[in-house]
Amino acid sequence: MTAALETRDLSVRFGGLKAVDGISVTVEDGRVLGVIGPNGAGKSTFINLITGQIRPTRGKVLVGGRDLTGAKPWKIAAARVARTFQINKPFRGLSVRDNVAIGAMFGAPGGGSVAKARGVADEVLERLGLSGVAELGPTELSVAHAQRLEVAKALALRPRVLFLDEAMAGLRPAEMEPQLELIRELRREGLAIVVVEHVMRAIRSVCDTVLVMQEGRELLTGPPDEVLADERVITAYLGQRYAERQRAERAEAGGSGPAVADQVGPRPEGETRAPG
Amino acid sequence: MAATSARPGMPESESESAHPELGAPTTGPPKAAPAGRTTASQLAGWALVLGLLVICLLAPKLFIPSFLRTLSAVFMFATLAQAWNIIGGFTGYPSFGNVVFFGLGGYTIAVLMARSHWSFWPALVVAVVLGAAYAMLIGIPTLRLKGHYFAIATLGVAEGTREIVLNVPKVTGGGAGITVPAVGPSATTSYPGNTGFLYYFLALLVVAMLAVYAIARSRFGFALRAINQDEDAAAAAGINTTRMKIAAFMVSGAITAAAGSIYAFQQVSIYPDRLFSVDITVLMVIMAVIGGSGTVIGPLVGGVGLQFLSEYLRQNFTDYHTFIFGAIIIVAVVLLPEGAVRFASETVRQRRLPIMDNLRRYRL
Repeated sequence: MTAALETRDLSVRFGGLKAVDGISVTVEDGRVLGVIGPNGAGKSTFINLITGQIRPTRGKVLVGGRDLTGAKPWKIAAARVARTFQINKPFRGLSVRDNVAIGAMFGAPGGGSVAKARGVADEVLERLGLSGVAELGPTELSVAHAQRLEVAKALALRPRVLFLDEAMAGLRPAEMEPQLELIRELRREGLAIVVVEHVMRAIRSVCDTVLVMQEGRELLTGPPDEVLADERVITAYLGQRYAERQRAERAEAGGSGPAVADQVGPRPEGETRAPG
Repeated sequence: MAATSARPGMPESESESAHPELGAPTTGPPKAAPAGRTTASQLAGWALVLGLLVICLLAPKLFIPSFLRTLSAVFMFATLAQAWNIIGGFTGYPSFGNVVFFGLGGYTIAVLMARSHWSFWPALVVAVVLGAAYAMLIGIPTLRLKGHYFAIATLGVAEGTREIVLNVPKVTGGGAGITVPAVGPSATTSYPGNTGFLYYFLALLVVAMLAVYAIARSRFGFALRAINQDEDAAAAAGINTTRMKIAAFMVSGAITAAAGSIYAFQQVSIYPDRLFSVDITVLMVIMAVIGGSGTVIGPLVGGVGLQFLSEYLRQNFTDYHTFIFGAIIIVAVVLLPEGAVRFASETVRQRRLPIMDNLRRYRL
């Protein structure tokens, strides 16, 4: 069976900076890959390389075995690869329903008429619990709804591969759970999902595999519990001193408990997040 | 608003039932007008359009010839504003060189009729095709730029094209201009006169209005609006942004070229400085923006309103008319940054005149 998504030695240089350097991953249908790493590690650039916003300087992108290296974003979308953006990108002049309908109009194979696309949009909104706000403008939504809208826009493409770039950012713990449940549900339906997150609770609860990036390179890849307990990951995130302190604390406590704390990771100002 | 208030069996919807004393159910908290829906103001707009259309068709019987010429100019500028609206308003690419299609259309007509002895109609077809083709040609490189950069690039293209026209006098007559054979034995198409040109420009305006009306409701229109809002997100949603932008520019160029063609025939003698004048581009932009760019009837409102205003000022304030016109435009842009049409629909929706809102919002 060919993997839903495969990258081989994917790399891009911006001048002298190797923003992404030789990343190879494979995501099967119905699997969730988490991508973590400190800010500037190249996580979003990695997504941009796959979804066509940036052309790679080296390496390959295969979707269902098909070589789509360096293809334009709309070609990638037509291959049923959908994504959200780290910074929400709603179409402000359009209603929530039409925001979602756009994806169904152009992204879904064969495309669709405006009326048909609105029908698809209504189904997606219903599923994500956004039916009540379908007529509103995207700027009137709460943070949680705005994050959901981005996911809805991606799902309207009926994707086989879904990228979620920090879809938990700014959510309160109670708001996070439905979002996580949705990811699990989509996984069960067979979507290949790539999740970029700073919220470790999310990573731990939905990912099958985690890729840790640092300065554009793969630091390590493995199951979430293993990866999050790894010394190198803690160091990458928190720096040498904190890692040593934590090691000492853990030794005192008998070596149990989670390694990378849930509050790990830099966070944008003013955001709420799950307490550890 | 309509979604919550129009439920016959449920007079009190969820959010209002808790505080029945707080205002009537129909005047809930302000919500943004649902985009893409027909509002009362839109209906009123279309009724107005129909009424005006009837008056226009009867115009030759109602008005004196000089007013017919004014009316022709009004229709022409409304058409130009509407054509600009497709690329500048819907797509969000502020072309400052749209006059290039106007000049190209005019010169195509003049050269084909004067030098090659074509009649008007086939020459018009060629002009429209050339307008679209030129839009594609200059769109492929310039539509990679955004915002100011696109504006400057298109401005440069228009100025450059004028220089080319000036420097091939054998074809275009250079700075001395070119004269379309309109009367006498060399005339290939009989000169339509004031009434004829009024109808030509009216017909073109109707075509432009219907084209934009259709675009606004089509997948194409959604693609353009998505590109306008966020090009990366539009591309990620599967929209071939390059193709859509070029197509929008081509439609805009074709309509503008048609307007230039009719204008050249009407003027008989044309000169590069007039046909490629930056003033015409500026007027297109101002009319579309003040009327409401990205709306269907905005450019019509702006074009008709400003052209009549400009004409009135010219006749009544001979010395100061451009000064007054400029001042009015500045005030209009400050007070109605979203354009007259959106202002009107806001007024209807909020049931108050939000005239000072922009001043307060930006502490101007």
